[in-house]
This record gives sequence, structure tokens and C-alpha cells, in this order.
Amino acid sequence: MRNIAGLLFAGGLAFLLLVLASYLPYGQTPMFLGDAILAHAPGEVHTANIVAAVLLAYRGIDTLGELSILFTAAAGVGLILGHRSLRSDSAGVNGAVNSEQHSGFITTRAVDLIMPLLMVVGFYIIFYGHVTPGGGFQGGVILATAFFLPVLVRPGTRIEHGVITLLEGLAGSGFILVGLWAMFYDQPFLQPIFDSFLGTGPLGSLWSAGSLPLLYLAVGLKVGSELAGLLVTVSEVPELSETNISDADDINRK
Amino acid sequence: MDNIVLLVVLPLLAAFLMPVVARSSEVVARTLGLSVLFISIGIILNVWSQSGQIDSQAVSIVIGGFLPPLGINFYVDQISLFFALAVPVMVLLFWPWHRATSIREYSLMMLLTASASGLILSGDLFNIYVFYELLGIASYSLVAIQGRVSAVAASFRYLLMGSVGSVMMLLGIAIIYTQTGTLNLAHLSLLAPEKLNNMLGLASFALILTGMGVKAELFPVNSWVPEVYGSVSSNLAALMAGLLSKLAVIVIVRLLILLFPQPEALQLMGMLGILGVLTGELVAWRSRDFVRMLSFSSIGQLGLIFLAFSIPGEMGMMAGIAIALHHMLVKPALFMLATGWRGAVENLSGVARRSPFVVLLFIVLILSLLGIPPLPGFWAKYLLMVGLSSQDGFIYTLGMIIVPLAMVIEMAYLFKIVMIMYRKDNDEPAVNNSNIVDDSNIVDDSNIKVVQKHSKWGLAIAASVAAMLIAIVLQLQPASDKLLSLANQLSDRNYYISTVFPQIHTVRMQSIK
Repeated sequence: MRNIAGLLFAGGLAFLLLVLASYLPYGQTPMFLGDAILAHAPGEVHTANIVAAVLLAYRGIDTLGELSILFTAAAGVGLILGHRSLRSDSAGVNGAVNSEQHSGFITTRAVDLIMPLLMVVGFYIIFYGHVTPGGGFQGGVILATAFFLPVLVRPGTRIEHGVITLLEGLAGSGFILVGLWAMFYDQPFLQPIFDSFLGTGPLGSLWSAGSLPLLYLAVGLKVGSELAGLLVTVSEVPELSETNISDADDINRK
Repeated sequence: MDNIVLLVVLPLLAAFLMPVVARSSEVVARTLGLSVLFISIGIILNVWSQSGQIDSQAVSIVIGGFLPPLGINFYVDQISLFFALAVPVMVLLFWPWHRATSIREYSLMMLLTASASGLILSGDLFNIYVFYELLGIASYSLVAIQGRVSAVAASFRYLLMGSVGSVMMLLGIAIIYTQTGTLNLAHLSLLAPEKLNNMLGLASFALILTGMGVKAELFPVNSWVPEVYGSVSSNLAALMAGLLSKLAVIVIVRLLILLFPQPEALQLMGMLGILGVLTGELVAWRSRDFVRMLSFSSIGQLGLIFLAFSIPGEMGMMAGIAIALHHMLVKPALFMLATGWRGAVENLSGVARRSPFVVLLFIVLILSLLGIPPLPGFWAKYLLMVGLSSQDGFIYTLGMIIVPLAMVIEMAYLFKIVMIMYRKDNDEPAVNNSNIVDDSNIVDDSNIKVVQKHSKWGLAIAASVAAMLIAIVLQLQPASDKLLSLANQLSDRNYYISTVFPQIHTVRMQSIK
């Protein structure tokens, strides 16, 4: 049954793509949403970076969903890789990595120098997300890199997961709490707040766009801690030992 | 009313906070998740009781304070509210209570809850995709951590199929966006007769149908079903077969009604439904494993639902909703009974003597699943047959032949199980008294020969489902009135548009167009 279903599926897909290729009018797309947002966003949301307005204001709940997807993926990978059937006898393997076996003096020192600079760049991109191209997602990835580089040049370092867990949990809840804050004032969830002490500066200045920079900070920290956590989890996976290989065979046979 | 958005937000908040809280107190973290589920149920019941208006009037809830089509809205009508209630209730019923696992599993359950509620409530095409993706990733992870090696392998295949599906769905959404320049469902529905009523529209429907169809166990993309349901715990299988597949179906139907006016779209869905019925029931008939049999029968039932929804008009809509709700009740109950009866069907010989009450429950459930009068399953299938007979066209005539045929096949294999159960056996299989299967060990499914005891909780669920079925039979008239109003509201395009864009707004939209 599976072969027939597969054949039907592939045939149908090929037919669909042919139809699409022949009918799709290239280069003439109606820009209803795009034009409307371009016209409204500077006045309504006060962001110089329209992408930030779309991500955080007009489609804020999509961004929340995407953050949750990242969180789910990281949690899933953590659970699967941390599972006992893969972890069995891993303590010995991991401990056997010689802590002296690092990447040499020059690389280590260079990374130590680069890391704070990367942190600064990451936070800059996050904080200026509503003004210049950039924002939480991009800045978060840079933060994760900054965090992971020292781990990369010193294999075998034990990382305490506590800080990462704390940061990813709090950053995610921060995003939601900013959204709930608006509901507290009887406004819809995730409505941007322009209060006396939040950013009310002129368009294009750092202190503008109301509560959106707060959201971007939450996004940046969330993405950064999530990716850092993922990288650390993957780097801690024990190399395949004899037992693990037999497990893998077991999977293949099924 | 605005509180409805909390149904999505609070479970997400709980999911993010649970790992943090668990570092200081695991008990508090677990309570957090459960209390969010109770709060969600409370919110919906409150909305339901406070405003009886939901019965007559749907509501569009704006998120972020930006009116659609620029912003995203949630659309709350009877059917989405009903399913939004079903999500926390069923998650609570099938909560992984006694499995000593990481707090992250509870966190994943909360993410599943949030995404399922979001999927059914959302009124924006891309937002639906985001929640669908979240639902997918949460369920792949939940399947993979079930502790058996076979579960990891099953989850990987499920992941591959699901990812291909979501890429196809994204492609479909992209095509729609290039044609219309908007993503709001009501706005799209306004533009659809003009812009999507062509081959491109049909192609994007086919892409979205196969993409969402992965979760809805649609015919060519359902080969993950038996493997996954066979290797996960009964609780999760019940949740996936009972709830998640129905959510995907309802979203597909909603998109079909709003965006795709062409009759070919209905025929395509009907054809895939018929193929699903045939393949599902035939393979179920041949399978020797109880859980696999249930999984294939689930594919068959979902095929029936797709066939029913492909009938134009309110009769098809009613039949589809009826079969979907009926399957949503019966299949989880059957999976709960299957907790004690894992493994080959032959091992069940003689169980009727040891646990007559459980077997009686099983018989009531399968009679309703088959559609034996006067149980509710019969009325659902009756609606389907009446709907099919009122249409002419190749698909519907074929359906008229296939549906009774499927019933006969279904009857053959389900009664075969009952026969085996009542068979006298001389060698009693060993009874394993421990309720908790040790999931941490690698268990090879095919080697489980012992008959395990049912958990009391699962039996209670199955018994209350059976009681509900009988209650529905007694209250047939109110139930069918309710069904009719659900069907009318679900199939009314103009009503959807005018709810999201109240009168003045509609005029402005048309001028923009």
C-alpha cells in the first residue's frame, strides 16, 4: 500500500508543480497588504523599520508562534538527545575528553577577545531593531554565536544548563507579559503601548516605538538562549559507542 | 470575550515558565500546567454562559489592535468555540499522569494545547500555518520521547512526512498570497470568487489539502499513522486520533468553504476520502495487531469524514460534523481500552470471561462505530448516505457503493475480534498486574505477549463515552438541531465575511478592491 500511495503522491505533486509553473503569472503580484502597511505603519506604530512593525505589531502573534516553534524544537531535541537510551555509558565517553585538548593558544585568545565584541554587536542589533534593519532574530543569533564560540574552542567544558533554561523561560514569558500588559488596560492582546515613560521619541530615534523595543529584546534573548542551548546540547551528545551503534541498527531494522 | 485569546497565550506562558519553575519546585510546575488547563475551560464556559449570543452570532477578536486585514484576528463561532473547549478538556483527560518523565514533556503538552486552540480559532491564513507547524513539532517531539526505540523511528518518519506537508502548505499559501495580496481569511473570501476561482486556486487547494492532510490522516500522506499510534502510549494516540486529526479536518473544511469556490476542489477531496476509506478498511481487515487495526480503522473513518464534507450543501456539512464528532468520542475510548490489549489479536482469546464488563463496553463502542441503529454512529452514517444519494456525479455514486462496502469490511474485522474475545481458551496468558509499563526500557512491541490490566482512568473514560452515546440516542432531536445550526454557521461564507468586516468596513473593502 505504501508504494502505491508513494507513487500517487509523487505523481500528483509533479502534476501540481507543472500546473503551477505554467499558470503562475510572474512579476505581477497585487500588493494589497504591503502597500497598506507601508502607508499606515510609520503613523500607527512609529517605527522607522517597517519590518519591525510587521513582526511585532501587525503580526505579533505570528512572532510569538515562531518563538514557540523554536522553543518546542529545542525542547524536543534536548529531550531526545538527553534520553537514557542514547545517553547510556555516556559519562565515561564525555569524561574521557581531555580538557587540555583545546584548539591552541591563538584561537583561544582570539575567541576570548572576539566574544565581548560579538555580544556588543548582538545587543546593538537588537536594541536598534526598530530603527535600522536588524532586530531580535538576527541579534539573537549573534548572541548565541558569542556564547557558543568559547565552548567550541574548549571541547569538554561542562556548561551549566540552568542559566540558559532560566533565560529562555523568562524571555519567552517577557514577550507574553508585554502582550498581557495591554490587556490589563482593556486593550487587545499585544497592542503596542505608547506610555509616558515608554518610547515616545521622534520617529527614527532609539527611544521611540513604544513597547516594541521591549518585545524585540525579549525576542533577541529568547532566540539567543534557545540557539545556544541547542548548540550546547548537540555538542554534549556522546560519540557513538558500541552500545549506541547497536541501538542505531535496531532503529534501522524497524 | 477578548479573553478568548488567553486560550492560546496562557498555555504558551505556562510552557515557557514550567522548566524555570521546575528548577525550584517540580510540584508547582506541574500544578501550573494543570491550572492553566482548568482556567482555559473556565474561560470558555464563562463565554458560553455569559453570552448566549454565540448561538446566533459569531465574533471576530482583533489581536494587537490592528483591524483585519492588516492585523490578525481570531474568529469565534459555535464550532471553533466547541473545539476550543474540546482541546483543554481532552488534554486534561489524556494528561500523562503517571509517567515519571521530564518536566519538558508537560511543557510540550502545553505547547500542543496552545497550538491546537490557535489553529481552530485563527482567522488568518499564515497564522494558521504557524500554529499548524507548532502543533506538528510538538507532536513529533511527544512521539519521539515515548521511550521505545520504535517510537523514535516512527517519529522520524512522521517528521519527514510532516515537514514535506508543511512545505507544501506554505507553497500553497504563498501562491494564494501572490494572487490576492492578502492573508486574512475573510478578505480572501471576499476576493476568492474573482481571483482564486481558477487552476492556480485549485493547485493551491491541493497543496494545502495534502499539507494539512498529514495531520488529518488523508489518503496519500497517512502512512505514519499505524506506526506512530502503535508505538506511543494510548493516551497520546487517543489525543492524536481523537482530537488533532479533527482539528486539521475542520480547518481544511473552513478554508475550502471560504477560499475555494470551484467544484473540482470538492471532488478532489471526495476522491481522496474514498481512497482513504478503501485502503484504511482493507488494511485494517488484514492486520493482526489490535492497535494497528484501530489505527487503520481511524484512517478509514477520516476518509468517511472527508467524503462527507465533499458533498455540497448542508446535508454533507451535517454528515461531516456528525461523523467527526462521533469519531472524536469513540476512537479515544477504543484506544483507552487498547491499553490493556496491546499486541496480536490472537492473545485476546478468552478476555471476555476475565473482564466481561470491559468487553461489553468494547461491543457498545464498536457497534456505534459501525453504525448499527439506534446508536449515534448509525445516524451519522445515515446522514452521509442521504447526502450522497442527493447528489449526482461519479464521486458520489462511487461513494454510495464504497460506504456500505466499508461497513461490511469493518464489521468483518471488528466482529472477528469479538469472536476471539468470547472464545474459550485453555492456556491463560500471563496477567501483568503492574499498571505502569516501564517505558524507560527499550520494549519491542511485537514481543509483548502479556495482557496488561486496564487503568481505571481509561476504563472510566470509555464507560462515560458509552454513556454519552446512549444519552445522545435519547436526546436525538436536540442533538440534530444543534448539528444543523453548527452546519449552517460553518457553511455560511457571507456570514463569516460580515462578522469580520462589519457593514461600513465591507463597503470600504470593496472600494479598495
